[in-house]
Amino acid sequence: MKILSIAFNTFRENLRDKLLYNLLIFALLMIGSSIIISKLTLGDFDRLMIDIGLASVNLFGVLIAIFIGIGLVSKEIDKKTIYTIVSKPVARYQFLLGKYLGLLVTLLINTTIMTGGLLVVLWARNVTVEGLLFQAVGMIFVEFMVMTAVAMLFSTFTSTTLSAIFTLAIYVIGHLTPDLKTFGEKMDELGRLVMNGLYYTLPNLERFNLKGHVIHHQAISGTDLVLIACYGLAYTAMLLFLAALIFERRDFR
Amino acid sequence: MISPIAGHERSPHTGLLINGGFFAACLVLGVVIVGLQHHLDRHIDRSVAQIEQLAQLPHGDYLKPALLGYHHLGADVLWLKLVQVIGKRHNTMEDYEWMAHALDVITTLDPHYAYAYYAGGVILGDLANRPDLANRLLIRGHEENPTVWNIPFLLGYNYYFLLADPDRGAYYTMRAAALPGRPAYLPGLATRMAAEAGKPETALAFLDARLKETTDPEMKKFFETRMKEVMIERDIRLLERAIDQYRVRYGRRPPSLATLVEAQVLSALPLEPFGGEYRYDAMTGAVTSSTHPERLKTFHKRNRAPAYLYPKVEQPSYMFPLRW
Repeated sequence: MKILSIAFNTFRENLRDKLLYNLLIFALLMIGSSIIISKLTLGDFDRLMIDIGLASVNLFGVLIAIFIGIGLVSKEIDKKTIYTIVSKPVARYQFLLGKYLGLLVTLLINTTIMTGGLLVVLWARNVTVEGLLFQAVGMIFVEFMVMTAVAMLFSTFTSTTLSAIFTLAIYVIGHLTPDLKTFGEKMDELGRLVMNGLYYTLPNLERFNLKGHVIHHQAISGTDLVLIACYGLAYTAMLLFLAALIFERRDFR
Repeated sequence: MISPIAGHERSPHTGLLINGGFFAACLVLGVVIVGLQHHLDRHIDRSVAQIEQLAQLPHGDYLKPALLGYHHLGADVLWLKLVQVIGKRHNTMEDYEWMAHALDVITTLDPHYAYAYYAGGVILGDLANRPDLANRLLIRGHEENPTVWNIPFLLGYNYYFLLADPDRGAYYTMRAAALPGRPAYLPGLATRMAAEAGKPETALAFLDARLKETTDPEMKKFFETRMKEVMIERDIRLLERAIDQYRVRYGRRPPSLATLVEAQVLSALPLEPFGGEYRYDAMTGAVTSSTHPERLKTFHKRNRAPAYLYPKVEQPSYMFPLRW
């Protein structure tokens, strides 16, 4: 119950954030512009619209997750509003989880609006929508879950600016981890061990990238989808536990 | 008080003056910016700049990781840029080489972008007359997309027509004929190619197949012209055979082409498809077309080097189609 009321409050607070609306408007503009851009290309008009649409949903969602996620905890500390919450009978992990869920609800609503925009564009241009599109959006949302947890983890122990830098770095590295494994294979025993260690520790965000499957109509099996979702959820849970662990020990002065 | 301007003693007139001054400055600067931009645009040819941008593209293998999972969108953006460059009326051979590089990058970013391989094959093969570049792209496309029929179909066409290699042409057409979605006539064409390589009739059937595949009026005109050129070759061969028959029968060359009909070697003289006429040199026995004095290279001598190594006699002024 306490978690839910914190989540609800976080959600209301997010709605007041101007950044959210800026990013959302940009995303919808990008999605809408794909109608005009598709007229400039040669062949495969559907592909361009789906590509731009999914990329916008993904990119702007990640930006929202990162830039609102980093402020979730550190803003409370900076404004000293954390004292009013900590002094109440609320466990710190409950506070964290509430904050996390609040942002997740915001992201869910945003993703729904952006996907709605994409569907309207596709409908306007008579493009058949496959179930694969929704699977891809679902996986994009799992990526948001992981990225929000990363942002919150950093936000529990460092400043907003540093959190933003670290989280963006994780986002970049997360898309390059398959290369770490490839590099490792070309190295000696120790190098391979280090590279493999990094590969398994860092999130492999490419796993959640099904955008290419949609445009090439490559179906993905249900088992694989479940496994990818489980990977994302497990990684998120681990990050949240880690964040709680750090936050429990943190001194507010 | 920090500065005298920010002071509250300032009269309303001064404020108005300052605001007006700022507004005027913005206006003047705006005009200067637009003027400079316009001046720069006129001095630097934009399409050249775009083609040079294509040349400076990094290799696809390096670009792909840098796009952080948005490589399909990257391929789309580059494709859009490339399409704008193709829209130019005349491209030099260097331009086409840069386009080949851009196509290579696009298809490395998205190896399953089947349309880019096919359209790229048409640009490099038919328009640039560089079947070597076209086939390199198409062979990779066929490896990456083994179920797409029009890639091996185009490969077959390039080998048969542009490289005068009917065996490989037939091989790829056969592969295309075995794939889902191929047109019904393709298997028949493939077997004919294998059996009657180098014959104008087979070539005409193949060109007709490509004519059926395209919906673009410009591209249709392109293939119709090519079909007429092959028809000339077919007619010249027919006339040459008739002249030989006449010589066997009468022991000398016919004095004119009309003699062939009079001697009932031919039932009628073929009509030149471009509206010209067939000329006959009674001294040498050579037959030529009045509109196309050069014979089609691919069919003339099988053992000659690929057609693209010759300087083109006539460069068709061809506007790339916006849709086909």
